[in-house]
Amino acid sequence: MSSSNDAPLSPQSELALSCFEELLNCVVADVASECHRIARLGLDRSVDSEEEELRVWAARTTAATAGGEHPHPGGGGAAEEGGSKGGVDVFGETHPAIAADVVECMNCGRPVVAGRFAPHLEKCMGKGRKARPKITRSSSTGRTRSSNGSTAAFYSPYSTPNPNRASVPNGVTDGSTARGDYSNHAA
Amino acid sequence: MVCGRRASINRPPTPSAEEDREKEPSLGEIINIKLVESGEKEKLMELLRERLVECGWRDEMKALCRAYARKKGRNNVTVDDLIHVITPKGRASVPDSVKAELLQRIRSFLMSTSLR
Repeated sequence: MSSSNDAPLSPQSELALSCFEELLNCVVADVASECHRIARLGLDRSVDSEEEELRVWAARTTAATAGGEHPHPGGGGAAEEGGSKGGVDVFGETHPAIAADVVECMNCGRPVVAGRFAPHLEKCMGKGRKARPKITRSSSTGRTRSSNGSTAAFYSPYSTPNPNRASVPNGVTDGSTARGDYSNHAA
Repeated sequence: MVCGRRASINRPPTPSAEEDREKEPSLGEIINIKLVESGEKEKLMELLRERLVECGWRDEMKALCRAYARKKGRNNVTVDDLIHVITPKGRASVPDSVKAELLQRIRSFLMSTSLR
């Protein structure tokens, strides 16, 4: 490398060298910018990820107390909870892995934790493959809707009965008088 | 106002000094403009990037940055820091073959533009 620098340079070679240097500076700036991004976003995972997480978190909490940043135990996003879940989102907020919001089931009307909504719907509407008897009232499990009328129950709010299911809405309405909005009174 | 302000009429226009300098763009600037206009600069950049990735130079530089960021605390690094970290080592560790190839292409470009 250095041997080329020792040779006397013609003006043209000098020019070529300065061109090369400019190109190299651009590439260096690119690499630096990308590494800066990786460092700041915490995307750089080491082999000892847990140890690294602890170190990063310790650094961040000390930086937080010094710089007034918002310290959060999520750690650097990537290994925490598998990607964008956990860690911090673009607003700087954290989210627990299992969604904690409580929503109202549109089927039975009960408040359900969002993270448990899918299993709840499974029981609430009946699992698709399991052949459920067409019962209108189920006192044992506390469900307020028969499982067989599940798909009709979804269509009923639109108040246009599916002609193929003319019999089913009748079955549904019997069991769900309390839920007037959802039932289809067309007979 | 004019009668009381002769000095302002005689005051030389401000850009003249700079204008004289700018009348003669340096050779380097001419070359740069030609490089960009012809699209050769873009090609050279791509070629350089490709070669530096192939030979592992980029990974070396990234490792340097990683180590520096870990040492300094990853929220305390700036882009400038990283550039200053990489530049000396980076310049020195470009493989000879890559440098030679790029210089060769630049030189042939310079000759083709018939400036030299």
